[in-house]
Amino acid sequence: MMNLITTRLAAFALTLFGASLILFFTIQILPGSAARSALGVDATPQAIARFEAQRGLDRPLVVQYVEWVSKTARGDFGISFQNSVPVGPELLKRVPVTLELAVLAFLLANLIAIPCGIAAAARHQKAADKAIGLFATLLGAVPNFWLATLLVMIFTLKLRWLPPGGYTPFTANPLMNLKQMVMPVLSLGLVSSALLTRIMRSSMIEVLSSDYIRTASAKGARESIVLRRHAIRNSLIPYLNVAAVEFGFLFGSVVVIEDIFLLPGIGSLVLVGIINRDYPVLLAAALTITLAVLIINLVVDVVVGLLDPRLVKGGRL
Amino acid sequence: MRTTLRQLDWRRWRLVITGCAIIGTIVFSAILAPLVAPYSPYDLNVVTMLQGPSATHWLGTDELGRDTLSRTIYAARISMEVAFIAAGLGLFFGTLIGGIAAYFGGWVDLVLMRFMELLFSFPAILLAVVLMASLGTSIFNAMIAIGIVFIPGFSRLARAATEVVLREQYVEAARAIGMNHARILLREILPNILAPLLVEAAIAFSYAILLESALSFLGLGAQPPEPSWGNMLNTGRGFMSQAPWLSIVPGMAIFLCVLGFNFIGDGLRDVLDPHMKD
Repeated sequence: MMNLITTRLAAFALTLFGASLILFFTIQILPGSAARSALGVDATPQAIARFEAQRGLDRPLVVQYVEWVSKTARGDFGISFQNSVPVGPELLKRVPVTLELAVLAFLLANLIAIPCGIAAAARHQKAADKAIGLFATLLGAVPNFWLATLLVMIFTLKLRWLPPGGYTPFTANPLMNLKQMVMPVLSLGLVSSALLTRIMRSSMIEVLSSDYIRTASAKGARESIVLRRHAIRNSLIPYLNVAAVEFGFLFGSVVVIEDIFLLPGIGSLVLVGIINRDYPVLLAAALTITLAVLIINLVVDVVVGLLDPRLVKGGRL
Repeated sequence: MRTTLRQLDWRRWRLVITGCAIIGTIVFSAILAPLVAPYSPYDLNVVTMLQGPSATHWLGTDELGRDTLSRTIYAARISMEVAFIAAGLGLFFGTLIGGIAAYFGGWVDLVLMRFMELLFSFPAILLAVVLMASLGTSIFNAMIAIGIVFIPGFSRLARAATEVVLREQYVEAARAIGMNHARILLREILPNILAPLLVEAAIAFSYAILLESALSFLGLGAQPPEPSWGNMLNTGRGFMSQAPWLSIVPGMAIFLCVLGFNFIGDGLRDVLDPHMKD
C-alpha cells in the first residue's frame, strides 16, 4: 500500500507540474494587453511600459514561469493587475464557497445515484429498473445551467421560496446559507447523479451476475445480506473511478453555476480573471480548481487500492 | 429494400432510430433554416417585443421583437457546426495520437500519452474556458477549444483499440510483407478501431453541444446578434418573469439535441457491443 501511495503521490506531483506549465503558457497568450486592460484604453506607451516592468511582464516567459511557480509553492499567488491587492487572501476567502457548493452537490449526486443504481440493478429489467433508467437518461441530457434557470423560475419567481442568489457564510447565518445553496447544489448534483446512477447500476448488475454472488445466494444467504456484504463493496470500485471523473466535471461546472447564482467562489474568479485579463487572478483560480480535481483523483486511487488490493498487486493502479 | 427493413431488429435499433429521428429533424431544420424559419433571426421589431407565444409568433418574441422560433432554428446551425467540427477535430487528432502511441510504443507512447493524461486532468469546462479566453471569443475558436478538450478521450480509446488490433495476424502479415507504417496504420488498423471511436464520437457530439452552449452562455462563444442556444438562454435570464419562453425554448433545444446524440451513442454501443448493454 505504501508503494501505491508513493507512486500516486509522484504522479500527482508530476501532473500538477505539467498542469501548471499548460495553464501558465496558455494564459500568457490571452489576447489583449493586461496593462491596457488595467490602465484603460487611454494609457500612454510609457505608462504601459512602466506597468509591465513593475510586474515583470517584460521578462522572458520562462523566467516569469519559474518565478510564479516558486512564489506559488510558498503560497504567494501574486498581486492582482486590476486592483493591486494580493490574490492569495481573495482566493482563500472564496475557497469555502466553492468547496461547500462542490461537496454538497457531489454528496447529493451520490445520495441519489448509489441507492437508485442498487435498486435498479436489484430489479434488473423490471419496471423500477426501466423507470430509473429513463429518469437517468433524461436527466443526463439536461444542461446544468438550464436546470439552474428553471429552478430560479420555479422556486424564486413563482413560489418565492428561495433567494435568487448571493452568498451568506454558514457561520453568519446557517439558514440563509442553506437557502442560498439549495438551487446551485440541485443544479449541479441532479445532473451529475444521472451518469453516476447508470454507472452504479451497470456495475452492480455485473457483480450480481458473478459466480461468488450466485454461490452466496445458493447457500441460502438473504438477498439483503448478499447485496450489502458482497455486491455493493465490489461494485463500488468501478463506480468510484467514474465518480472521481464526475467530481472533476462538477468542480469545473462551478464556473457557470457560480456566475448564475452570483456566488463569490473560485469559479466566478476565473471569469473575473478572464474579463479583466488579470493573469495572477486567473492562474490562481484555475490552478486551485485543477489542484482540487487532482487531489480527489489521488484519494480515489488510494481508496480503490484499499478496497481491492488485487489491483495494486496486479499493477493496475 | 422492403425485405431489409422488415428484417431489421427494431427493438435492437430503437434507441439509434429515435436518436437519429431527433437529430435528423434538428439537422434538416438547421440546413433548411431560410425555408423553415418563419422570420429572419435578425429582424428587429420594437412593436412586437416580448410577446408571448401566438399564431404569428409560435414561440413568442425576444426583447428586441425578434421571433424566438426563427432564432432557435438558426441557432441550431451554430450548435451543429460546432458539434461536428469539434468532435471531428477530437476524433481526428485523438485517433492519430492514440494510434501512433500504441503502434510505435516506447518513448513515443510515453511522451504522447503522458501529455494526453495531463490534458485529461483538467475539468473539461475549465480547459475550454481558459482556451477560449486565450484564443479569443468567436465561434471558430469555440470549435478549436472544444476539439482540444476531446483529444485526450479519443486518444486513450484509440490507443487501447490499436493495442488490441496490433496483436492480430493480419497486422503481422502486413509488417512481414514490408508494408510501410503509414499504410499499416491507415489500411489495416484504422478500419478495425473505428467502431468504438464512432460510438465515442456520438457521445462527444452531445458534450460539444453542452460545452458550446455553456461557453456562449458565459459570453465566450457565439456573440450577439448571432443566435446560439447558449447566448439566447443567457439573454432570457434577464426576462425570466416577463418572458419565461426566452429561457425555456433554447434550453429545451439543447436538451433535445443532447438527448438525441446520447440515444445514438447508447444505441450504437448496445448494438456493437451487447456486453455493454447493462
